Amino acid sequence: MTRAKVGAVVLVAIIVQRVFLDGVHLGGSHLDLMLLLPIAAGVAAGSETGAVVGFVAGAVADLFLPTPFGLSALTFSLLGFAVGSVQEGLLRAAWWITPVTAFVSSAVGVVLFALIGAVVGQAHFVRPALLGIAFVVALGNAALALPVVRVVTWALARSGPAAAYAR
Amino acid sequence: MAVYRRTSRPRFTLLLLILTSVTLLTLSQRGSTSGVIGAVRSGARDIFAPVQRVVTSATRPVGDFFAGAVHYGDLKKENGRLRQQLNEEQGKVLQATDAERERKALLDQQNLAYLGDIPTVSARVVDASASNFQQTIEIDQGRSSGVAKDMPVVSGAGLVGRVIEVSRTRAVVLLITDPTSAVGVRLTGSGDVGVGSGEGQRNPLSVDLIASATVVKKGETVVTSGLQQSVFPPSIPVGKVRTIKKVPSALLQDITIDPVVDLKRLTFVKVVQWSPSK
Repeated sequence: MTRAKVGAVVLVAIIVQRVFLDGVHLGGSHLDLMLLLPIAAGVAAGSETGAVVGFVAGAVADLFLPTPFGLSALTFSLLGFAVGSVQEGLLRAAWWITPVTAFVSSAVGVVLFALIGAVVGQAHFVRPALLGIAFVVALGNAALALPVVRVVTWALARSGPAAAYAR
Repeated sequence: MAVYRRTSRPRFTLLLLILTSVTLLTLSQRGSTSGVIGAVRSGARDIFAPVQRVVTSATRPVGDFFAGAVHYGDLKKENGRLRQQLNEEQGKVLQATDAERERKALLDQQNLAYLGDIPTVSARVVDASASNFQQTIEIDQGRSSGVAKDMPVVSGAGLVGRVIEVSRTRAVVLLITDPTSAVGVRLTGSGDVGVGSGEGQRNPLSVDLIASATVVKKGETVVTSGLQQSVFPPSIPVGKVRTIKKVPSALLQDITIDPVVDLKRLTFVKVVQWSPSK
């Protein structure tokens, strides 16, 4: 059931990304909802789930991108894992930590994507405009972070006897 | 708040995911778009096409509202520019003595006179650049309409780019402003040839290999050179010269050109069914 819900969330996210967000440019860049999914999963459920959701979301995003296949999957996996690891170290989370985490980790994610891209032959990803792209994506994801984390938390919530034992 | 247990399993999972991603990257780099990865991507585009069409038509008013809100400043400027252009055109029409000649000129433009008798496929732009790192558009025609990889794409004004990925019903076009795009160009004044390279979405194209002795005028039209094995047929307008910078004692001069096509507001384009061997 959890897998189906996560699959549905990823599917809706890619539709929203392609139909709405790809066409809305701010300063020459558009928002990246797919990048927010592993961050939300890391916040909601820790490093392992963050990495797995990152891989799935990245692979789906890669299907529609002109960039090398696997680049988003790799970046998002690392990002989901990192966000989850940091989140696991926090004892108490104030509401504003989530948008701040989304802002910082989105900016890091964009730069990481460009750097790994440069390593696999896309040297033009690393250029002055990179900082502008990172800022726009970070700002957009910070704004979307709270509702997206709620949706991802719902998708990752386990139900039934297994969940009762886990508690 | 959730309570996490620290074990080595997350690291093992991450390692597996990294290895899988690197394998996919390697396959992607080796097989380019013709291998398994290309087939999967192509299939995904075809499956997604009807979903995108339905969602877009159902939610267009909402999308237009948000796009209008975000681009309000641009739209206001564009509106002013168009009003000014309209006034100028109205003045021209009033002064025109030969209405038939103007009508014919407009028809010639519609028929893309610079392409001669090369067949074209009309297409609608269905998606803007999917990546923040590459300047591309997606069009609603693919293999089933005769579109193939590397075919040039034009609009009424001139060159837009070339097809880099194609599925049965969709194709991805790399715009001439993309940093990986290079176009063989010719200056219409001197006839000198060079290479026009993309410098990103908001920047003009840079033109290399123009000798410093060549006389270049600001506003001069630059067209495709169409030299042997060029991806583009000759004489398609590419841009107009924006800046000319001559460095003393240098053999070449630095030239930038503005694309003649407004690449940010493409709605319809034509795919030119042309290959370098023709």
